[in-house]
Amino acid sequence: MNSIYPDLIALSPLILLAVSAVVVMLAAAFYRNPRPVIMLTLLGLILSFTSLFLPQSIASRQVTALLVLDHYALFFIGLIVVATFVVAVLCYRYFGGNESRHEALYILLLLAALGGGVLVASSHFASFLLGLELLSISLFALIAYPRFTERPLEAGIKYLILAGFSSGLLLFGMALVYAQLGTMQFAKIGTMLTAPDQALELYGLAGLALIVTGVGFKLALVPFHMWTPDVYEGAPAPITAFIATVSKGAMLALLLRYFLMAGAYQSHQITFALSLVAVTSILVGNLLALLQDNIKRILAYSSIAQLGYLLVGFLAFDPLAIEAVAYFLTAYFVTMLGAFGVVTVRSGGFNGGDNDGSGGVAERDSDRLADYAGLFWHRPWLAGVFTAMLLSLAGIPLTMGFIGKFYILAAGVEASLWIPVIALVIGSTIGLFYYLRIIAVMCAPGSQAITEPTMRPVASPSLVESVMLAALALLLIWLGVFPAQLIDVLEGTVVNLS
Amino acid sequence: MLPLLWLIPTLPLAGFLMLALGGSHLSRRSVAVIGTGSVALSALIAILIAIDFIAARPPGLAFQQEAWVWIATADFSPKIGFYLDALSLVMVLVVTVVSFLIHLYSTEFMINDEGYARFFAYMNLFVGSMCILVLADNLLFLYLGWEGVGLCSYLLIGFWYRDPDNGRAARKAFIVTRIGDTAMALGLSLLFTHLGTLDIQPLMQRVTQQWPEGSELAILAAALLLAGAVGKSAQLPLQTWLPDAMAGPTPVSALIHAATMVTAGVYLIARTHALFSLAPPVQLAVAVIGALTLLLAGFSALAQKDIKRVLAYSTISQIGYMFLALGVGAWSAAIFHLMTHAFFKALLFLSAGVVIRSLHEEHNIFRMGGLRKKLPVAFWTFLIGSASLAALPLVTAGFYSKDLILWQVWSSAQGNSWLWVAGWAGAILTGFYIFRVVFLVFFGEARTAVPLETKRPGLRITIPLVVLATLSLTGGWIETPPFLGNLTLFSDFVQHALPPAQVIHDGKNDQTILELLAIAASLGSIALAYLLFLRYPYFIHSLMLIPVLARIRKFWGSGWGFDWLYDNLIIRPYLWLAYADRHDVIDNIYSMAISCTLRWLQKIDRHDVIDNIYSGLAELCLFLYRALSATQSGQVRRYAAAIAAGSIGIIFMGVFA
Repeated sequence: MNSIYPDLIALSPLILLAVSAVVVMLAAAFYRNPRPVIMLTLLGLILSFTSLFLPQSIASRQVTALLVLDHYALFFIGLIVVATFVVAVLCYRYFGGNESRHEALYILLLLAALGGGVLVASSHFASFLLGLELLSISLFALIAYPRFTERPLEAGIKYLILAGFSSGLLLFGMALVYAQLGTMQFAKIGTMLTAPDQALELYGLAGLALIVTGVGFKLALVPFHMWTPDVYEGAPAPITAFIATVSKGAMLALLLRYFLMAGAYQSHQITFALSLVAVTSILVGNLLALLQDNIKRILAYSSIAQLGYLLVGFLAFDPLAIEAVAYFLTAYFVTMLGAFGVVTVRSGGFNGGDNDGSGGVAERDSDRLADYAGLFWHRPWLAGVFTAMLLSLAGIPLTMGFIGKFYILAAGVEASLWIPVIALVIGSTIGLFYYLRIIAVMCAPGSQAITEPTMRPVASPSLVESVMLAALALLLIWLGVFPAQLIDVLEGTVVNLS
Repeated sequence: MLPLLWLIPTLPLAGFLMLALGGSHLSRRSVAVIGTGSVALSALIAILIAIDFIAARPPGLAFQQEAWVWIATADFSPKIGFYLDALSLVMVLVVTVVSFLIHLYSTEFMINDEGYARFFAYMNLFVGSMCILVLADNLLFLYLGWEGVGLCSYLLIGFWYRDPDNGRAARKAFIVTRIGDTAMALGLSLLFTHLGTLDIQPLMQRVTQQWPEGSELAILAAALLLAGAVGKSAQLPLQTWLPDAMAGPTPVSALIHAATMVTAGVYLIARTHALFSLAPPVQLAVAVIGALTLLLAGFSALAQKDIKRVLAYSTISQIGYMFLALGVGAWSAAIFHLMTHAFFKALLFLSAGVVIRSLHEEHNIFRMGGLRKKLPVAFWTFLIGSASLAALPLVTAGFYSKDLILWQVWSSAQGNSWLWVAGWAGAILTGFYIFRVVFLVFFGEARTAVPLETKRPGLRITIPLVVLATLSLTGGWIETPPFLGNLTLFSDFVQHALPPAQVIHDGKNDQTILELLAIAASLGSIALAYLLFLRYPYFIHSLMLIPVLARIRKFWGSGWGFDWLYDNLIIRPYLWLAYADRHDVIDNIYSMAISCTLRWLQKIDRHDVIDNIYSGLAELCLFLYRALSATQSGQVRRYAAAIAAGSIGIIFMGVFA
């Protein structure tokens, strides 16, 4: 029984997330008051983040066959916890602050974060599926949380159906792999695949392909991307931020581990399929965003393209590529949280949708391009933060986005992935158009945004929100100018994976 | 004190940030305190570091400070670091001290300008960038400073941006120097790809170890760097931007376009002298460019009416001297002249600023006159500056630095008598054109009455003038020729960073004769100016009645027609091409030239083929956008079908591909 103690230490970030979900649930059961609930949530997240430094001394620990807690997992759990923290803060005022009863939201948020944490630490198909479903099921409810409003509900149901469908495919793929190899552990699959006499048969290959499908859906890669704009648009803005960052980031971290541990990258067919997916994602994502008038949809398409970029670095499969992917993913987290943070702050928010009579103030977020006309003139700081985020997405120097894209490009060139690299360059060029278009709209002078009846009044952000957005923007530029600091961290943690 | 080195560029940059972010909310007093204070502090630190450096003599006579590694990849990890040796110490002292004096002057000079905070923000950014330029340990970091000062130059030339002419001058300066900068960037890439580093000291070591003298790579790299230096320092053939740059406020002309930024090219060549030593043809080109520039600009200065343009051409000409010195391997003489020139040229601009302001923005020297009594401070300081520029013997700094250059041009292994003659003729021109200004502006009869309400310049203007005047007089006494004490403090000090020139003619007699000739040039030219512009002014008038001479004067005045030449050689053809392209001229040429076999090409070509490619690309994107948008139907069943189709496709690829 002595050996269980280090296991618990290693698992403490995940355990703390689970415990805080339970505590928050119990608290909400007795005190229907959001303020203590969000405080507890944030406390739980902070504790979980601090506990990340406990297992630091343990180099890499396999906890049961299901989870492996190494530096790689810890880095991404940290990223997920921080992102959840930001989303929780954004949710508070958006969902009506202390006046509305939205405590359950935080339980779901914590559970979803836990699911993400399990995903990035999983080394087994079972924990993979557990984490995935924990994340997905929490997301169904989170997306449709303003349940008396039409759009979130529609988005929630769409996500439910399509995610169920893709999970089915994923599960089937796992079953096929298991049927041939008789194991569900990534590492064992890896040793079997690399054994010289062992080649996958039809079942196994189809299984691998179906797993790619399931992952592709979560990452919103073409051709599994179609849900993205509808769900992004319908979901409440902070939840969209959560989908864009935590859900996708966790999945990508898992995919990287799976590919490296299970040696799936040695299958040329699968890497070929993935590079095709990367190229189409980049082109289709950027083209779809071109003349879009809805900010959330633009960001949805943009995230399709960004994930395509990520995949280019991913396909290089060497330590530089892992570093590049981790850097780009961090940049993507910061940027997406910042961008959706601005959309959240700019929107009035759903007032809980609760049956206390005040619910359902807003039918939609402030997500039309017109809502942002002339934002520079009445909310210069907000527009400034948004501009920084957009420039980072476009990959303009002095932002994290530039360094990330540079890294990806370097990894791609190093691995001679010429076609994906060319697609990346073309995609970036197209992308510049719609990012700059938003900035141009924000700068449009003399806009009467406030007086026109169709325009919505510009909500003023709370102090915490302002501080957080400013911090994100500063981080974006700081790490864009001095990337070495983050790179050092990454070299210490993530690169050990392979 | 040495560890405080990083503060020298950081303080002005911090000042810039404060002024840029909060400048509009600050009072003029606070703006002045922040703007000048930050530069004053960094000058103070520079002085303390200099004392420390001289007293403690760090190992290797150099001090390195690494701030951080900007980005670390496998074989490319540019450092952000500072390097202090005798050369950069001299540079940083000159830059910070002169900048401080000019900032102090500007606090009063610009007081009524509405862009007061903006002015000091730009100026602080400039000082920070310039300090980065001279302290950088790495050519890439140096390039950051190089572009930073270029940006500030652009911003400050166009400071009064409401006048479109100023904007045009700013753009001209930016674009012309960009030509040189592009070449320099190419040079840096060349050095990096062949030698694998951009850290200056290891780079120079590798250059000397790996490239033999006269190797093609060394010549190419040196030539590319030279192009950068030529652009920045306004030398032939990229000198045309500097006279127009006088559109900026006078303190800007004094700081950026006389004392510091324009000498960056000289610094660059001195810094990379090891490379230039390996490329004798390029080094000869440096000397020839310098000699030609100093003569051409001297003649142009002679024909100007605008007092600031005289000084601008004079700057070009004096930097020509520095290039001449660099070209013959007299590195320390070039830097010595750079230093004294910074003092006296800043002084000339600042006192000219006082004159211009007192006469309500009058720039024409022919409308001035007799100001000696009305503006005594401006008169005496301008006189001192002019004497130093004209190298008046014994008492001025310019005498020691210019004569050192002339002597080394004669005596150096790479020099020759033709270059010396050019320099000597330039010395005559120098004294002549600057004392022409002195006599026209301060002597004779008043051609414009000084407005009565003109305030006497206050302390903040007078102090910098007096300090600079003192430096212009005494700054040269640290390096004297053999027959005047033979002090070699300066060249001894920079010896470790800049090797002495190889001397082949080393005769005391020669030197004395040459010195006497130089003294004669200086005194004679002043006397000539006195005779022609004060004593017998009608002589010039009658000369100008001869059409040929009048035309020559006009030609010189226009800067030897370089603007006209570039306008006709580059700008007009370029515009014509653009215009032609718009009107299908190219197409017509094609249709005439292309034979029947290529008839089909012609058909495509007839309709603006280039335009069609671009608009076609845009159309294609739009078409794809529409097509793809149609797939976003919002219907779940379609989406699910897409996922199914995608899965089948991937399975197909996975299994059969």
